[in-house]
Amino acid sequence: MILVFGGAYQGKTEYAVKEFGLSAVCDLSEGGEPDFTKEIITGLDAFASRLSAAGEDPAEYFRSRRGLWEGKVLVITDTTQGVVPVDREVRAAREASGRLMMYLAGEAEQVHRVFCGIGKRIK
Amino acid sequence: MNVLISGGAKNGKSLYAQQTASELADCGPLYYIATMIPHDGEDRARIERHVKEREGWGFTTIEQGKSIASLIGREDVDLKGSFLLDSVTAVLENEMFPVALKEGKPEFLGEDEEAPERVKKELVAFGSAVKEAGGSVVFVSDCIYGDSCGYSPSTEKYRRALAEADRALAAVCDKVTEVTCGITEEWK
Repeated sequence: MILVFGGAYQGKTEYAVKEFGLSAVCDLSEGGEPDFTKEIITGLDAFASRLSAAGEDPAEYFRSRRGLWEGKVLVITDTTQGVVPVDREVRAAREASGRLMMYLAGEAEQVHRVFCGIGKRIK
Repeated sequence: MNVLISGGAKNGKSLYAQQTASELADCGPLYYIATMIPHDGEDRARIERHVKEREGWGFTTIEQGKSIASLIGREDVDLKGSFLLDSVTAVLENEMFPVALKEGKPEFLGEDEEAPERVKKELVAFGSAVKEAGGSVVFVSDCIYGDSCGYSPSTEKYRRALAEADRALAAVCDKVTEVTCGITEEWK
C-alpha cells in the first residue's frame, strides 16, 4: 500500500493519479464507504471523522480489512497541525484521523507527502 | 530565478526570504513589495516592526497590496531587479475581502468572487514578466492547510484559493522551499 498525505487542497489525489498512473478513484470526502475495487481511495480523514462520530475506531476498521487495501493508494488529509479543537466531537475526529494516518504510514511500503502540488517520498 | 517560500506562521519564512531575495539581487535593484494595507493601530505597529527588521538590507519598498500585475511596466520599477513579495496570503486577502476606510474606520465591502482566479493569474504573470526581463521574484505564502476544525464557507473558500495560488506558483517557480523552525526543506 502507498500512503499519500498532506494539508488540505494541496493536490494530493491529483498527485497520486499522475505519479502512479492510476485513474479509478473512490472519494470519501462527502460520504460513503470505501470501495476497495478502486485503485485510489481518497478522503480518508473525512471517513475517519464519520467512523469516530459513530463510535468506531478508524484504525481498527482498516486493521480488520487488511486484505482489501493491500496494493492500493490511500490518500488522507493531515488535519493534525492546527489548534486542538474546542468541540469534543471535532477533537475526537482529529485524533482518530491522526491515529489512522500513523497506523497506515506504519503499514505502508511507501509514504509520500504533498506540498503545493509537489510530492516527495518520505518512506 | 523565481522562488516560492511557504511554511507555518512564525517559522522564519520572512527572514529566509529576505536573505534569498538579497542574494538574488546580486548588487542590482532590490525591492520589497509591501502587501499589508493597514486598517488600524495594530496593523501600523506590525508594519513598523517589519520596516525596522528590513533596515540595512537595502530594500526599496513598493506599497502594493493589490493588483500585482500593475507593477509590470511601471517607470519606477526595474523588472531586472530582485523582488520580495511578502505575502501571497495578504494579497489574496486584500482582493477577496476588500475593505475601505470610512471616517477612519474600516468597512468591509463584500467578498469579491472573482479575486481568486484574478490574483492567481496576476501573480503568475508578474513572476514570468520579471523572469523574462532577467530579474527574480521571491514569493512568500503561508501553509494554513493542517487544521481539523471547519471554517466558515468564506474562510474555507479563502484557504482553497490560497492553496490554488500556491500550487500555480509552485508549478512555474524554479525553486519551492518550505521553512519549518527556521530550517529549510527543498521541494523543487
